[in-house]
Amino acid sequence: MRSPLRRLVDHYERRYPVDVDGPVIGCVGQDVPVELVTAAGALPVRLAGRPGLDVAEGEKYLGRGVDPATLSVLTRLLNGEYGRLDRLLVSRDCEGSLRLFYAVRELRRLEPGLGLPETHLVDVLHLPHWTTARYNQVRFAELVAVLERWTGTRLTAPKIASAIMLHDARRDLWRAVSALRRDLRLTGAQALAAFGAVLPVAEHNRLLRELLKSDLDVHRGRRVFFTGSSHDNPNVYWLLEEMGSVVVGEDHDWGDLLATRLVGEPTLAALVERYQYNGPTAARASIAARAAHTAQAAAESGAELVVSYVRRNDDAPPWDFPAQREALRPHGIPAVLFDRQEYGLIDLSEVFVG
Amino acid sequence: MAEKLLASATEATRYQREWFRDLRKSAAAGGPLALVNADAPQEIFRAMGIPYVVNQWWASVVAAKQRAPHHLDLLREQGYPDHTEQYSSISLASLFDPDPHLAPWGGLPRPTIVLAETVGDGGRKIFDVWGSQPGITYYALESAAENTVPVNWWDLMPHDWEKAVGKARLDLMEAELCNLVRFLETTTGQVFSERALRRVLDLVNEQAEWNRRTRDLIARTTPSPLAVTDSIPSVMIPQWHRGTEWARDAAQRFYEEVEARVRSGAAVCEGERARLMWIGRGLWYDMDFYRRFEERHGAVFVWSMYLAIAADGYPRYGDNPLRTIAARFAAFNDQLYTPPWSSEWYVKEARLHGVDGVVHLVSDDARGSYFTNRALRAAGIPVYELHADNVDTRSLRDSTERDVEEWLEREVLARRAG
Repeated sequence: MRSPLRRLVDHYERRYPVDVDGPVIGCVGQDVPVELVTAAGALPVRLAGRPGLDVAEGEKYLGRGVDPATLSVLTRLLNGEYGRLDRLLVSRDCEGSLRLFYAVRELRRLEPGLGLPETHLVDVLHLPHWTTARYNQVRFAELVAVLERWTGTRLTAPKIASAIMLHDARRDLWRAVSALRRDLRLTGAQALAAFGAVLPVAEHNRLLRELLKSDLDVHRGRRVFFTGSSHDNPNVYWLLEEMGSVVVGEDHDWGDLLATRLVGEPTLAALVERYQYNGPTAARASIAARAAHTAQAAAESGAELVVSYVRRNDDAPPWDFPAQREALRPHGIPAVLFDRQEYGLIDLSEVFVG
Repeated sequence: MAEKLLASATEATRYQREWFRDLRKSAAAGGPLALVNADAPQEIFRAMGIPYVVNQWWASVVAAKQRAPHHLDLLREQGYPDHTEQYSSISLASLFDPDPHLAPWGGLPRPTIVLAETVGDGGRKIFDVWGSQPGITYYALESAAENTVPVNWWDLMPHDWEKAVGKARLDLMEAELCNLVRFLETTTGQVFSERALRRVLDLVNEQAEWNRRTRDLIARTTPSPLAVTDSIPSVMIPQWHRGTEWARDAAQRFYEEVEARVRSGAAVCEGERARLMWIGRGLWYDMDFYRRFEERHGAVFVWSMYLAIAADGYPRYGDNPLRTIAARFAAFNDQLYTPPWSSEWYVKEARLHGVDGVVHLVSDDARGSYFTNRALRAAGIPVYELHADNVDTRSLRDSTERDVEEWLEREVLARRAG
């Protein structure tokens, strides 16, 4: 019998193609309210890129100025690597995702033979204002209608409430996973797998509960906190952890940020607020909000070093870095910036962080 | 620097210097000053008598004076990136300049408010830095997106903008602008008059109509009566003063001057062999670039987005003034950078102007070029994709001009000759 950790890692490493009964909805970005997809009886599958993939096809349509992680997602989509995706929801969590939406929309118009799925943009905005909240309410109502049309399922209040509770339970479990990692009973790469395994949420929750009860090794290494770009794959974590570090926390949306904020109340109104105020992500939060969050999260994780890892064409994180470094100073935590890195790689030749 | 053929271009530049001198005096006396992004609503500031500087205009001045590398150095010294969003970040470097008296035109005065939409990932961060400085407030506007849009925005925008932009985006920006008015009333003590705003909007529309006449006239005139190096200052300096009588009259003078040149048969290049379109921002650090193709090849850049967007992108008629302004800006970037709006508009403009080829300036940012180039090529128009940043000279390859010339000979002039 494989351990719960092994099973989670397997589900993470073999995320695609997805093989399930029932509708599968591909999701781009962390701002897709997966609760509504679950409530509609479909499986939300968040799409990740694949380091090492030749992204020429994605670059052809998106150009040379887009984060290579997004180029990789579009290339995989065009290659059919995700398997069956009945529909696609694209969020506006970063400029790359928005540009991907526009490309898919236009390709469906001009080149229907490519077979790209019907796609809907979920334009969740993040300024901390009531005007934004009202806009988001409209967009959520539209999404409910779209999902009802796509799946033929009426999204009643009880269905939405039930889905919210399932996903909030997963966020609670993810928080417990983060605590395990802070105790060095998981590596950063293992934690990413526990976050990112592609499973129906109820099954994911069962496996996470088993993980929390299981015997886990204790790891050793320099405690590193990741900020900067998001990591939809474990490659950079592996590279750093192979050199004797353990990634004890991060503030990107394939990791700890997924569980930072609960919905709390099982209503659509609370769901809208959760997505507006979730974060703070590099692409959508202010420099001040990022700096405060990074400093607090790094300190709570007992980090000895903060690494800001920034991929080529990921424009936001380098602007955050000076304020993050300042905010970390009172905690006595040094910070180092790795800017313009290639997807899935980190150039450790100039700065040794092991 | 290319010599200006048009009196309207010379006059606009003179006016701008005089205005900037006065603006510096007003700021030095402690008056409010706004720094606004080019694609953000400026009309409310105009109506309330709050002076403002357009962020990208100042960047263009800095670049034209060959000071962009210095400004990018200043950003780097502060730990900020010097390789992204340079066009939007160059003005920010003014805050960190130890020798501001060496800056062009006496230097950018320190603003008290900065206004920008949260476009892209890095753009809002630039304004966060502005807002972190003592005495400066960043008023952020959302940048919203739409799922489905009708393609022909240029037909719909003047009157049927509700259909073109969509209710959700308009509701959002109208509410944000309503709050902006209250914010400005509270923080500056200036009075907001709806009557004054309506007058501003009328003047903006009148200006846009003059620009439309000028655009249409240039489009149908061969050989071209003027160079883009003339049309850009003649249209853009008044654009940054839109909502004033001076700007409206400047647009009229521009039209009349072009019309007189057309009547007299004046041509910017007597031996015009090809009409070219320049897609993208102006190459501010080398405006002579455009003219050299006239001199060497008889190829005239007859089109830049500046006059064309002034003609199609600004007119908005409506009863509710804040919603009408929202209609101008809630989807402004989409007009230029989001397919199908952008790609189909460029094709429409290329056909209108009878261009023989397109040079498309593509920066290393997320906006991309594929769909525009695809649409132009599908319409039978050759496209050269020039990869460079419009203010960062480091990005321009030494071979660029030669490469464009080879493309011109091979794909445009040879085709015409054949």
